[in-house]
Amino acid sequence: MTTTGIAPPAKARERHGQKLSNGAFALLLTLPGMALFAAIVLYPLIASITTGFFKQDLRFPGRTWAGLQNYADVLNRDFWPVLQNTLVFTVGATAIPFVIGFALALALNSGLKGSGFLRGLFLFPWVIPGVVVSFLWMWIFNANYGVLNGALMKIGIIEESVSWLGEPTTAMLAVIITKTWASFPWMMVMLLAGLQTVPRELHEAAAVDGAGAVRRFFAVTWPGVRAVAAITILLEFIWNFQHFDTIYVLTGGGPAGATETFAVAVYQDAFKGYDLGHATALGGLWMLLLLVLVGVYLKTSEREPK
Amino acid sequence: MTTLLAQEAPAPAARRAHPAGTRRPRRRPDQIRSSVAAWIAVAVIGLFALLPLYWLLVTAVSPKDQAFQFPPKFIPTDFTLENFRAFAENEALFDYMVNSVIVAVLTSLLSVVVATYMGYSFSKFRYRGRKSLMNFVLASQMFPQALLLITLYAVFRQFGLLGSYTALILSFATFTMPLCVWMLKGIFDTVPDALLEAAAIDGASRWRTLHTIVAPLAAPGMIAAGLFAFVRGWNDFIFALTLADKDTMTLPPGLVNTYIGEFQTAWPALMAASLVVSLPVVIAFMFLQRYLVGGLTAGAVKS
Repeated sequence: MTTTGIAPPAKARERHGQKLSNGAFALLLTLPGMALFAAIVLYPLIASITTGFFKQDLRFPGRTWAGLQNYADVLNRDFWPVLQNTLVFTVGATAIPFVIGFALALALNSGLKGSGFLRGLFLFPWVIPGVVVSFLWMWIFNANYGVLNGALMKIGIIEESVSWLGEPTTAMLAVIITKTWASFPWMMVMLLAGLQTVPRELHEAAAVDGAGAVRRFFAVTWPGVRAVAAITILLEFIWNFQHFDTIYVLTGGGPAGATETFAVAVYQDAFKGYDLGHATALGGLWMLLLLVLVGVYLKTSEREPK
Repeated sequence: MTTLLAQEAPAPAARRAHPAGTRRPRRRPDQIRSSVAAWIAVAVIGLFALLPLYWLLVTAVSPKDQAFQFPPKFIPTDFTLENFRAFAENEALFDYMVNSVIVAVLTSLLSVVVATYMGYSFSKFRYRGRKSLMNFVLASQMFPQALLLITLYAVFRQFGLLGSYTALILSFATFTMPLCVWMLKGIFDTVPDALLEAAAIDGASRWRTLHTIVAPLAAPGMIAAGLFAFVRGWNDFIFALTLADKDTMTLPPGLVNTYIGEFQTAWPALMAASLVVSLPVVIAFMFLQRYLVGGLTAGAVKS
């Protein structure tokens, strides 16, 4: 039965005049979806990547063959700084939410009173739309009236207002903090679900055997959630690697390109600079890196029993 | 899909041979210590999570002169609903909201209908190419949107669809489809094969089985998938920013165009508008609590 799914017995099929085999019927079911995917994902992806070999302006029709010129330009100019920005953002906005989310998941899993309510409360930053997150933090980081400057001055950490989004180093920090705020709840939910599968008796048995909290964490807890943690980190890494909304709204890639990641750079090249060849060459390299990550991801999550 | 997290084998390392009775477990002080640590973690992270939300609420109900005050008033004394009234009276914003509703609802309907057939096929049949197809659908939600957008823009322009609802719905489907297909596959996986076999033996065609037996059973899951798709469509920024025109603009890019980049952003009004945009998704998530892990991962971990 496992190989044929819900195949009605062949005789029954004939009796009801079913002309299609199960395989053909199954493919028929996927047809509308496949057509849609081909039209809106597969074709655009291939067409975008091939555009990288042409000189083309968004505003005008027509294009000329450019060979590898765009790729050479991209590699000589913006690929490396953009890669560096993307990596700094991606690593920061994955590692920090993971630590926060994990700490929270451990706390909520330790039998705290009202942990269900707290879990719901902590979800808010993740639930609200990405642009709202951006607006809110833009306001918090505001150089003239921002509450962050106000609070830090009040407790004496800074003496005069900092232009958080106006300085290259603090701007990157600011977008990472913003993304962290929006991401940690998701990691919390995933890790909490993972923690809940670790049997409580195991902890108790380890405690009876005299294992301390740290020892129990590494001997019981961590092996139990390692797989979930790996998938969670990998997914968040992939999403951050192509994250657009927060950075675009908060800084637009500035100041002076300090927060210009692949997503922002490709978008700006195409829709502000109108240089499609350049944008898609950069995008092609970006896609290549992403494909490696997606490959790792597919391999890691490959555990379908059937 | 919610069962996915139950597959981890417990750690064998934890069980150690220990002569019985050599040591009494000291659990009390240990438990107290760990619950103190838990509360400290919750309190610190709670401040980080909730203070910004507090500031969102405070600014949204602050009159202008209170919001533009430095140092800021951490505990506000003046309250107003003026900012919400301004939102309600702004015709452009109202139009954006109508567009957001139309596009998100239609995207969600399209995705659920198409994904139901695809997810059912993935769940209940075994055939060549199934795995590759499933992997493609899964991977497609990780393809960079900015890159897809460049060709989508060109194609929609060629067909005269730039600025149309159709362009928005089709582009939103690039991310709602993978979500729905995988979520619905997970839901159909929970429908026992025996039920379908029984239906076949009773003479129901495969088509009929899907529509009159499986679909009603899976209805709550289909609604959840639709709600997730609605939320994702409602939240979209990059596609609507680029493919919509002023008549089809949705709220997220509409708010950016209205408020950001002015000489002096009207922060109280923007915070009020932000609350309004957030409301539908917050409500949606109240219904989605149960599907959270499944929906969040939608194929993140294949189960």
